[in-house]
Amino acid sequence: MLTAAGLRKSWGSRTVLDGLDLVVGPGTLVGVHGANGIGKTTLLRICAGLIYADGGVVELGRLDPRRDRAAYQSRVGFLAAGDRGLYARLTVIQHLELWGRVSLLGGERFEVAIGRMIERLALDELVGQRMDRLSMGQRQRVRLAMAFLHEPDLVLLDEPLNSLDERAAALMLACVAELTGRGGVAIWCSPTLADEAPFDRRLELDGGRLYGPAPAIEAVPAA
Amino acid sequence: MIGRQLRAALAIYHRDLQIFLSYRTLAFSTAFSAVFSIALFYYVSQLLSVRSFGSPDDYFAFVVVGLVILAVLQSTLVLSATVRAELVAGTFERVLLSPFGGVRGALSMMIFPIVQAIVLGIWTLALAAVLFHLSLHWATVPLALPVAILAALSFSAIALLVTAVMIVFKQAPGIGVLIAGITLVSGFYFPTELLPSWIAWIAQVQPFTPAVELLRHLLAGLPMAEPAWVYLLKLGGFLVVLMPLGAWALARGIDISQRRGTIIEY
Repeated sequence: MLTAAGLRKSWGSRTVLDGLDLVVGPGTLVGVHGANGIGKTTLLRICAGLIYADGGVVELGRLDPRRDRAAYQSRVGFLAAGDRGLYARLTVIQHLELWGRVSLLGGERFEVAIGRMIERLALDELVGQRMDRLSMGQRQRVRLAMAFLHEPDLVLLDEPLNSLDERAAALMLACVAELTGRGGVAIWCSPTLADEAPFDRRLELDGGRLYGPAPAIEAVPAA
Repeated sequence: MIGRQLRAALAIYHRDLQIFLSYRTLAFSTAFSAVFSIALFYYVSQLLSVRSFGSPDDYFAFVVVGLVILAVLQSTLVLSATVRAELVAGTFERVLLSPFGGVRGALSMMIFPIVQAIVLGIWTLALAAVLFHLSLHWATVPLALPVAILAALSFSAIALLVTAVMIVFKQAPGIGVLIAGITLVSGFYFPTELLPSWIAWIAQVQPFTPAVELLRHLLAGLPMAEPAWVYLLKLGGFLVVLMPLGAWALARGIDISQRRGTIIEY
């Protein structure tokens, strides 16, 4: 379960998160939408442990992204917006092997994880191709494979449909369904939320807080 | 778990090797540039007749080893530029968001440049021996490899400090000045005894001078001012003191940038 309580973050004099609360139970896909620059990416980066909030806490289970860094990171997958985070001269399989190792996957789990993501994101025909020779949509599939590679419990998706065609979007949704099906949590941020995505909750970020049909803080579901 | 950490470090080394090899002419041009360097200094050495050296060949041996160690020094100090490039590409944040982490990731990014510099050093010495009759001291040449690795690790600690500064301020001002300064006071191109006394003390308070002195003795049989164990003790001392300090500074630099939110900036 992901808990964010009282999150505050300012960029200079501009406050983007102002006491934001969010509790997401197991097996939940949360969609967060809001205007450009409203703080969606900042929220994801804080939940990922990439940057720290000025105030408030984030916990995944009982893990704190700063105090329990390695354990926290082994349970979190992050897809940043855009098409960064790739090495132009490396092939698809070289990327998956590199991030499998850096995710400290060992033994059989390493091989299985790579094979699984190649299959789930239909990368088998691309494995030997260099990143600078792939289309934007193909690169996005590789980035998604890297985010889901180590079977994280929490996946943070910043505009995940970027450049994806219908088939690739369906593959991505299947990855999210597999994650929530095994009790994981996904937070999906985008200026507008896709109608076809099966969000359990749709929230709007505005004025540094989340608003939606469900209360920003909800009762913790029984395990 | 240590096995997985080592495999992660090797994966980063492998990544850098793959990228290097993907540029087909890079290895060739790197190897070929060594020919020009040693040729230049060979002919410069033939002009020399000074008290500090018994013969022009002695100066040639002196400066070739200096060139090799300078390449090792530069291979470590390139870390800040590497991390900066990774920040721009968005790949450093992936390392940061992994259980392996930013500090171990940065340390691993030094493996390939150091291995490359050592291989290039061996190539340079071989070329100097074959083309310009550099007289190598074969009995002690094998000992030069562990000493070169020890020297590289000592230099790496300084690279970590520079990288910490770069991560916080998004630039590492004066890296070129630092290399030029080290080159001047560490005896890469000329004996440190020639330095004026007001600056000569600097030669004794950094790891570069003992590294070049010891390696010159091991590779070319040139005389040392102090026993070998003194140089080893100095190098080991710098490593033991500076490496934890460098790793701490880098971890602190990353933490500050994450707290300020500037780790995503470049």
